[in-house]
Amino acid sequence: MSEGSVMEDFSLERRGFLKTLIAGATTLLSLRAFRRVSAAGPEGSSPHSWAMVIDQSKCTGCGHCTLACRAHNDVPPEISWNRVIQAENVNDQPVFVSRPCMHCEHAPCVEVCMVRASRYRADGIVIMDYDRCIGCRYCEVACPYNVRAFNWETFTGENPAVPEWGQPEIPRRPRGVVEKCSFCSHRIDRGLSFGLAPGIDEEATPACVVACPVGARIFGDLNDPESNVSRAIATHHTYRLREDLGTGPRVYYIPPHVEVGT
Amino acid sequence: MISERRFSRITRLHWWLAGLATIMVAGVVAGGIVFAKGLVVTNLSDLVPWGLWITIDLSSIALSAGAFLLSAAVYLLGLRRYQPVARTAVFIGLIGYTMAVLTLLLDIGRPDRFWHALVYWNPHSVLWEVTMCVCLYLCVLALEVAPIIGQTEWMRKRWPRVASRLEWLHHFAPYLAVVGLLLSMLHQSSLGATYGVLKARPIWYRPGLSVLFIISAAAGGISLTTLATMLTSRLSSQVKVEDALLDRLASVVGWVLVGYLYFRFWDAFSMTYTYEPGRTEGLRLITQGPLAFNFWVGEILIGAVIPIILLLNPRTRGNVWLRMIALAMVVGGVVAYRWDTNLAGMLVVLTYLPQEIVARYTSYVPSLIEFIAGAGVVAYGIFAFTLGVRYLNVVDHRYRPYKSRSVSTASAGD
Repeated sequence: MSEGSVMEDFSLERRGFLKTLIAGATTLLSLRAFRRVSAAGPEGSSPHSWAMVIDQSKCTGCGHCTLACRAHNDVPPEISWNRVIQAENVNDQPVFVSRPCMHCEHAPCVEVCMVRASRYRADGIVIMDYDRCIGCRYCEVACPYNVRAFNWETFTGENPAVPEWGQPEIPRRPRGVVEKCSFCSHRIDRGLSFGLAPGIDEEATPACVVACPVGARIFGDLNDPESNVSRAIATHHTYRLREDLGTGPRVYYIPPHVEVGT
Repeated sequence: MISERRFSRITRLHWWLAGLATIMVAGVVAGGIVFAKGLVVTNLSDLVPWGLWITIDLSSIALSAGAFLLSAAVYLLGLRRYQPVARTAVFIGLIGYTMAVLTLLLDIGRPDRFWHALVYWNPHSVLWEVTMCVCLYLCVLALEVAPIIGQTEWMRKRWPRVASRLEWLHHFAPYLAVVGLLLSMLHQSSLGATYGVLKARPIWYRPGLSVLFIISAAAGGISLTTLATMLTSRLSSQVKVEDALLDRLASVVGWVLVGYLYFRFWDAFSMTYTYEPGRTEGLRLITQGPLAFNFWVGEILIGAVIPIILLLNPRTRGNVWLRMIALAMVVGGVVAYRWDTNLAGMLVVLTYLPQEIVARYTSYVPSLIEFIAGAGVVAYGIFAFTLGVRYLNVVDHRYRPYKSRSVSTASAGD
């Protein structure tokens, strides 16, 4: 059984080697994991904290916001990043809820995304990395606001909202990824680089806010107490959707004149 | 006379394999259509993003649980008698996990980016943890199956050095059993938590799902291993099994089911007490709605109550046919549980409106393409198992390579 004993020695030697290897790999991987965990928060820092206020007493449900959004973000007709629904009637007047992405402070989509394709920006915007998304749709299942849409097929051909409602400013998303409202982060970033103020200068403000014919949407910086969103929140009774979930939405609603209650 | 019998058996096997291959080809065609046209060919939607394929995925992982449980029993609890059963279970496990990976590749929108899950980490995501565990456990299973391939006669004849190397991996079996146990305990329960952590879906949002997923996986996994072993021994005269082992395993399944039913009862019963938006509707869907038959008959009656009676009564358990029927029922019950759990959360759509939270219902019936592609994956699993039985001797209770490593060729050649 000399062969057996050689095998034993060999295996022991190899076992020692493997142990060292596994220990080394584990250390490296845990360091890497730790770095990743700490990086799961927003990257960098920003002086801004963007938010939107939607005044339901002004909203007429015309849907211009949805159409402008479709054009500027090149969204296919079967997807709405910004849906307008008729919620109820108050004093025989219809009340509308228009719903962009809530850009939650504690966003379930960011928490569940296994590849960190959904991320927080330092300014609070929840962005999608369309080059990283693998299309598992866990974020869709996790989002309490139904703001996410999957690209079940490739969007080809004309966008019916273009050019009437604007020109596309970002590339179309490929088939097989999940997409959603970005607070028009590309407009904000470009505007800031030109020294414009998002929420005040139209070029730096989300397309839906610019398109609203009755001024029901306000956009601005929560970190600036003098911004129009800060003032609107300070002077009006506002509520947020499904606040009970603790998601901390960045979209505030001013209820219609008759109290809706949360 | 003998050659005639042998001939007829081979023909039957060939027909069987040809039938499965046909389904697999159809599945490959369906999969090709999915890759070419995208997931638009499914009946999945933004309201029901996960459907039949996720059920196959969850079920094949759950039904592979026999691998880690029996490995742990043999190498950690020292129940050496069960070693040949563990061998079968490990092989079924490897097939089951590859089935899961295949189904996932179908299901994700960008299969070309599957590697992103391994490169871009979000340790906060339950699904990330599941992915990591599944990948690592797939490696463990491959290492556990390697000696089985190394032990085959043709491998020894053709590549003796490779064969002995593969067999040498046996040394690591106890370590692999520990790692496999850890990884499986993690992801078998986290698959329940994948649903259980989602606050947006109240019917899922409860800690019990992880517990129920792992207990039902234990029952289903051992059942499938035992059932596959029994069926094989009936269908092939080449295979010899020790019925006492299978009888014992069947009674274990019976007791696991008792525990499962107990947790299941309190888990469901506690949800009936007060109205909770979304959760009550989900429960209604299961107990009275479109999933009611699945739940009462598929999960509770067939999946638990009848098997408990058949498997815990020594007389009925002793009857090979009744035992096989009971084990098949458990397997079906596990699949029904995964299907119902997934859909109960998906089919209830909660409004995000500020007033009273309103629940609406939606519906989902898989498309033909989903069925065919799913059937293809299942056919692949059965096909691979058949080949394993035929060429790798994965079901053979005379096989004891641990006690005497050198006799394996003698038993394989008879």
